[in-house]
Amino acid sequence: MKSLLDSMAVYWCILLLFSLGAAGLVYVFWLKEALM
Amino acid sequence: MFDFIIAGIQAPIFLLVLTGMTVGMVGGFIGVGGGYMVTPALIVFGFPGYMASGIDVTHIAGKSVVATIRHRQLGNIDWVLGLAMVGGTMMGVEMGVRLLNYTKSIGLSGIALLTGSVGIMVGLFLYTQIETHRAQKKIQELSREGKTVGRELSTSNIPKFFQSISLFPIIRCHVARIVISMWVVVLVGIATGTLAGFFGVGGGFIRVPALVYMVGATTHIAVGTDLLEIVVSGGYGALRHYASGNVDIMAVFFMIIGAMFGAQFGSIATSYVRGPAIRYILSYSLILATVGAFLRLVYMLSAQRYEFLNFFAVVFTLGEMIFLCLFILSLVFFAVRHRHGKWVPAWIPSLVVVS
Repeated sequence: MKSLLDSMAVYWCILLLFSLGAAGLVYVFWLKEALM
Repeated sequence: MFDFIIAGIQAPIFLLVLTGMTVGMVGGFIGVGGGYMVTPALIVFGFPGYMASGIDVTHIAGKSVVATIRHRQLGNIDWVLGLAMVGGTMMGVEMGVRLLNYTKSIGLSGIALLTGSVGIMVGLFLYTQIETHRAQKKIQELSREGKTVGRELSTSNIPKFFQSISLFPIIRCHVARIVISMWVVVLVGIATGTLAGFFGVGGGFIRVPALVYMVGATTHIAVGTDLLEIVVSGGYGALRHYASGNVDIMAVFFMIIGAMFGAQFGSIATSYVRGPAIRYILSYSLILATVGAFLRLVYMLSAQRYEFLNFFAVVFTLGEMIFLCLFILSLVFFAVRHRHGKWVPAWIPSLVVVS
């Protein structure tokens, strides 16, 4: 895991995927209903 | 849920506080207003488009004051540079808006404008990425040789050209340690202002790279000085919007509460990192904003037929805010670990300040 994080590009991708996933979940399970 | 009487909608308070905090953090760190994130987010929350713009500009003006005060304390503002540039920027924005109206009158399509703005953003992203990557490599090389590296290193030679233009009057920017013709600074302000006014993109996106790559300021000074400009331009925009009835002051109030904390954290976070780290975040912000805006525009141009495009545009806007905040937080986290001699990823030491 540590060696994976040693690459900035890999760290960037992991963080972006995590962020987009979190945003998708927030939208699908909460934001969409709250804003209806 | 809070009843926003002026906007005529109901929205959760904590969403606004959270938006203000995240955008404040990013804005305080890279020196941009963050309108590209706030306006679409407010529209997603149900605010009408004109109201979203008004709330956005007013909140940006307030947030920039907080961030500017903090950057002043950190010594990141060059008043001479900022004041010399602000006049040119205002003139440029006016020229950009007039140019936009002219192109509309001759029937230049939205597609052409979109292509131009995407081209500029992608070009800036690529240049910033390549230059910052070179600077990071250079820092790593110098560190390996046992040499001390300061908090800034830029490999661009363009500032040398602009600083060599000896057109009277010459200004001495003591904080930025630059001696340059005032006309160069004013012209850079006009050029960046025109692009911002014409393409409708935030000025900070273009001004911060321009201050670094054309004027030759350090990234920290560029961020602080740009925020000073946003106070002036945002304040003017806020007054115009308020007079036009486009501002729900309660929404601004809740966003400013979040931004007060976010902007201070973002500003203080700059003292933990070297210039290239800020430029990296700026370039990521550029490309993610471009993709988000592109998705939104394709959705609008397709007469709102493809709902999945709207879904991806919203997810991208929210995800971008989360991503940038997490990246800034992780940089500070790793900087603190590095100071205590603990393990950090191999790319961190060249991007953070040791003490």
